[in-house]
Amino acid sequence: MKVTYFQQVPYRHLDDDFERRHESVVTTPYFETTKPAHVASAFRDALDECMIAARAGFDGITITEHSQSAYDMIPNPDLLESALAYVTEVENLPVALFPVGRSLGKSREPLRVAEEQAMIDCISNGRLVAGFPVGLAYDANVNNGVPPAETRARFDENLELILRAWNEEKPFPFNGKFSQHGSVNLWPRPIQQPRPPVWITGIGNPKTMEFCLSRNFGFNYFGWFGSKLTGRRIFDRFGSVAEQLGKPRNPFQIGFMQSVAVAETDAEAERIYGPHIEYFFRKGLGSIPTNRLMIPGGIDIRGLEFIFRDPSDFGMYEKMRTASFRELRDAGCVICGSPETVRDQLVEMCIDFGIGNLHAMLQYGSMPKALTQQNIDLFASEVLPHLKPIFADKYDHHWWPERLGGKPAVSETAREEEDAL
Amino acid sequence: MSDQTVENRKVPVWNGRVTMNVQIKGSGPDLVYFHPASGMAWDPFLDELAKSYRIHAPEFPGTTPGNPYDIHKIDDLADAVLIYEETLRGLGLNQPLAVGQSFGGMMALELASSFPEIFSRLVVLDPIGLWTEAHPVTNWIEAPAPALPAILFKNPASAPAQAMLALPEDPEAAILATAQLVWNLGATGKMVWPIPDKGLSKRLHRLTAPALIVWGEEDALISSAYAGLLGERIKGSRVEIIRDCGHIPQVEKHPETMTVVQPFLAA
Repeated sequence: MKVTYFQQVPYRHLDDDFERRHESVVTTPYFETTKPAHVASAFRDALDECMIAARAGFDGITITEHSQSAYDMIPNPDLLESALAYVTEVENLPVALFPVGRSLGKSREPLRVAEEQAMIDCISNGRLVAGFPVGLAYDANVNNGVPPAETRARFDENLELILRAWNEEKPFPFNGKFSQHGSVNLWPRPIQQPRPPVWITGIGNPKTMEFCLSRNFGFNYFGWFGSKLTGRRIFDRFGSVAEQLGKPRNPFQIGFMQSVAVAETDAEAERIYGPHIEYFFRKGLGSIPTNRLMIPGGIDIRGLEFIFRDPSDFGMYEKMRTASFRELRDAGCVICGSPETVRDQLVEMCIDFGIGNLHAMLQYGSMPKALTQQNIDLFASEVLPHLKPIFADKYDHHWWPERLGGKPAVSETAREEEDAL
Repeated sequence: MSDQTVENRKVPVWNGRVTMNVQIKGSGPDLVYFHPASGMAWDPFLDELAKSYRIHAPEFPGTTPGNPYDIHKIDDLADAVLIYEETLRGLGLNQPLAVGQSFGGMMALELASSFPEIFSRLVVLDPIGLWTEAHPVTNWIEAPAPALPAILFKNPASAPAQAMLALPEDPEAAILATAQLVWNLGATGKMVWPIPDKGLSKRLHRLTAPALIVWGEEDALISSAYAGLLGERIKGSRVEIIRDCGHIPQVEKHPETMTVVQPFLAA
């Protein structure tokens, strides 16, 4: 399987009582909360950590996007990925550059997204993996002003424009509902043609799964709500959607983000990582109130009925703001312990759920760089070698760059399907 | 005797792509009611009006139970205004009276500004549509659900407020009603997100129908300071402020509201 290093850029110095004093982590007053030196070091540390992971043997560097938030200060992952594209090219490191969070429901300049990512693919000579989530409500709708009822339609149109812009032979006009261009003629185009691998991140909506399977995109799911509470539901659902569509199930089409903490012993791991894990969940996701993740119009009415009948897809979310380390660990929000503990749990989970791409989140919340490096190094030396062989000989990886051993399958059939849509 | 049963009439509009459901009740001169962002619901104010008027209440596209996706066929406010105008023509109404509340008040004002001859008289109850930095309009769409009663009512604990906020007792019915309510806020919200100012101010000078502007003095959603601002922009309009009252005067202060609305409509 492929294992990527997953990075956010949190502000690492929020006050101890942050989650009691502030309404949310996505409305935090900036000047009252931050020191410029701490913001600067957050970006330097994050890039350093990505390079430590790239040199340690991870298969890719996966970066998210969340504007106007204190838990992740990356308004555009392409900025960091382009820096990493250059350095990894110079050092000849075979890692994928995976801006997993370039939200298309939010983007008002889809051609700029196409240009930025084409450029990353050129700088890295064909190592881009594109990630296009619809986008979170507070970000797409509040920060970016997109009407919630329009988010999905904007995503669909933006994606169509980007895919065409990447490989259409001749300049073309684009008369969309949200973008109009007299002539689209992108320079540069991605090295990977007809397109780099494309991944969509979802929260469990079967329509998103159907979309990925029918368009030959990878499907990403993030395990912050607690993989032990939600993983079975989500991946079983993916399996049944694939079955209904008559699509073969290939673990390499599935990506999963899991927070991981490794130390010499279970007790040591709890001692050194526990406070940072609590910081991350209490002051991060736990401090995003429901009304900022779900805004009327953004979720289909049938989806609303489904959620109101059974909110289990949200796992630990409701309790997160006050959750203890042990509650978070028991729910699977983090896998934490000795190399044996972590390895056994990850191997079992990936085989059980059929996950062919693991995005390991190894820095979270207040964790400083030295401790992050320790986590990355131990993971890379003691856990990674046991994960890589899983599924390796059984399936082809059609959602990974050819230069990195993938067998991209934007087949003629898939292209015809895309054209038909 | 007035007819108090509700008739649902389907009106095809937008070249047949959208079906408007219009709830019709009462007898007397024709009156069009434009419902607020939460969707169409009959309340004692409307029931009382139905004793003297034939009320036609078009449901905003997407808010009709069983037909949620018509909202995806409407791109913006300009589309919605034309769709309402087609609906009123489809109903065969000739210069009806009009009453609109909040979001519905804005729709009524937009229609009357675009088509100055469309209404004979117009009543708006705490309408949205204007914006001034001094009084930012509360974003009711992104507000947490528990905060809504205090945004909508001066006295959320009062009997009329509680009656309006009540959910069905049956759990499944409550789930469906809640999902419909959330969806309705999203559908109507598509017209006004993220700031409920889409240029009404520059169109209001076109409005010629006699207009009554009614406002709850302590409206926490859109300040009663807007009553005067709106009044200044509509020539010959009259402003009435209802004391000790929030955003929904016809529910929270039904008798007081009726006292100012009835004579205006009957004039």
